[in-house]
Amino acid sequence: MTITAGIDVGTGAVKAVLYEIVDGTAKRLAESLYRIRQRDPMQLAAEAYDTCLEKAGLTRDDVAYVATTGEGETIPFATGHFYSMTTHARGAIEMEPEARAVLDVGALHGRAIVIDERGKVLNYKMTSQCASGSGQFLENIARYLGIAQDEIGTLSQQADDPEKVSGICAVLAETDVINMVSRGITAPNILKGIHLSMAGRLVKLLKAIGAGNGSVVMVTGGLALDGGLVAALSEDAKEQNVEVIFRSDPDSPYAGAMGAAIWGAFRHEKLAKLGQLAMAS
Amino acid sequence: MAATKDIVARCEALFEDLNFESARAWKAAEDGRKVIGYLPVYVPREIIHAGGMLPLGVLGGGDRLEVIHGDAYYQSYICRIPRSTVELGVTKRLDFVDGMLFPSTCDVIRNLSGMWKLMFPEVYTRYVDVPQNFDDELGGAFFRQEMEELKEGLEGVAGRKITDDAIRESIAVYNENRRLVRELYAFRAKQPWKTPSAEVYLVVRAGMVLPIEEHNQLIRDYLAAADAEDRPMRDNCRIVLTGTFCEQPPLNLIKSLELAGCYVVDDDLLLITRWLLDDVPTEGDPLGNLARAFLHNSESTSAKYVDDEAEKGRYLVRAVKETGAEGVIFAAPSFCDPALLDRPMLQNELKANNIPYIAFKYAENSGQMQPIREQAGTFADSIKLWSAA
Repeated sequence: MTITAGIDVGTGAVKAVLYEIVDGTAKRLAESLYRIRQRDPMQLAAEAYDTCLEKAGLTRDDVAYVATTGEGETIPFATGHFYSMTTHARGAIEMEPEARAVLDVGALHGRAIVIDERGKVLNYKMTSQCASGSGQFLENIARYLGIAQDEIGTLSQQADDPEKVSGICAVLAETDVINMVSRGITAPNILKGIHLSMAGRLVKLLKAIGAGNGSVVMVTGGLALDGGLVAALSEDAKEQNVEVIFRSDPDSPYAGAMGAAIWGAFRHEKLAKLGQLAMAS
Repeated sequence: MAATKDIVARCEALFEDLNFESARAWKAAEDGRKVIGYLPVYVPREIIHAGGMLPLGVLGGGDRLEVIHGDAYYQSYICRIPRSTVELGVTKRLDFVDGMLFPSTCDVIRNLSGMWKLMFPEVYTRYVDVPQNFDDELGGAFFRQEMEELKEGLEGVAGRKITDDAIRESIAVYNENRRLVRELYAFRAKQPWKTPSAEVYLVVRAGMVLPIEEHNQLIRDYLAAADAEDRPMRDNCRIVLTGTFCEQPPLNLIKSLELAGCYVVDDDLLLITRWLLDDVPTEGDPLGNLARAFLHNSESTSAKYVDDEAEKGRYLVRAVKETGAEGVIFAAPSFCDPALLDRPMLQNELKANNIPYIAFKYAENSGQMQPIREQAGTFADSIKLWSAA
């Protein structure tokens, strides 16, 4: 039995998970998610990790491999670090073995990844530096509209006449939204318009890397739980003739941390075979 | 015993000092002292040292120098190190330097020697040519004569004769430096988690501005401190970094590679310190010994003309095997002819030996590390998760 931890330091939140691996089968023991507001992400990572250990009744000494991902390279107690694309791909396969593409939509950017059945990254494309199409942008708009984040998806799906916003620039999009508010456009129609605009950009990424032919796309990252966005993705894919099936999971925000923990277990075993076991401090 | 962090902090201060205050202080400490600057990659520093002068490595302006005047001297398709070197010159940061040596690294560095003569006529300036023929009677005789002329020129700056005995003594001191640098590299290849590459770089780089005797002690101190300290081992892959022998990458680039999951276990940074592979004999004709060492005991990197095409890239494969590296990262300065023209041949040799690699370019002032972290991070993952080993 091997205990491994995965810690994903994202732009909007830190996620940690704890896994027990027995004969190649991974069982999740605990998870925790801390939003990054004005707190030090490194401190939050330690807290998220310790929370998991506490939930599972374990100590740091019980953990064979602490794997970090995202912006977690500098976490001092990590055994190894994996690039976020690698971990989201593995996390997606863990949640949905049929997935052959991943759409990772986080606070900062969106990324489309084509994977094989082992979770190996075959191709990818991500949004440019512009913030439109990111969770941070959506969060800002919700704040302007006075809407709680968990209401966004439900309201968006109530839209009857969505107004599309600029898909190029977050600044222009915010101006669009201000104009819509002054024109009396309802919040559901505004939110759905934003979702469709984001979906347009994300589906283009999938198209660019050759996702299609009815393949399953696992949506990961913080926005995977936004039902409005997932619905808009399906609508836009149909419009752009991209044949994919979008799936999301309550664990989607943890995909990176899950993938890190599972790859950590793989590395632990490999290093043990090579006699080069790295010791978690 | 000093801690690594204190030793490295001192080295970092030397690295960041674009006014070369330590070399200025060395010169001011005694009347008549002279400082001789040199550009990458190789000059026989022993001759400068034998004349009682301080060899000063001038490795461009890094990412902390704004180049304003330097850009006016070069076309847009030329690398950055000559621009920032001109900038160092025209902003009087090198006004205490009595001589400048421009080695035969590439046409740009060679032509910079001519520009320097025009810009700073009061400074002893010399282009140091190196042989492209490896026969003792031809290339050897040529390089010995080249060093003889260099010695005469340096005697003019020093105001005294540079004797064979003095050169032999200097060769002994530099042999010690080469041994220590080799020891440091061997230590890092064995325990890279104890000697982060950015630290190794700073420690070796300090030797570009410090008197060599002081640098020898600094390396000894660092090795002892690194050995004594307990640092956690990370599950990183092991890579050889190549192409970085002239214009130096920003320190952040070296740090980023390690952060992305790559332990650098060998590199060609600051290659002058490892150009000669073994001790140079301290008996007999010292210039002849230096010439023979260059011909027969120097590594066939991209910074050196290699007349036997079959030999191309062999050193890289050897470096990978000897250090137990799992891959190679080609990092070359933009527009670096020696590194970029050799790259396809080196990559072919790696392919033939099933050694994975990635390649990117940089400039000494590159500020955006995200694409490099992304490339190095995915490379590390591919080695750790998908390699056959």
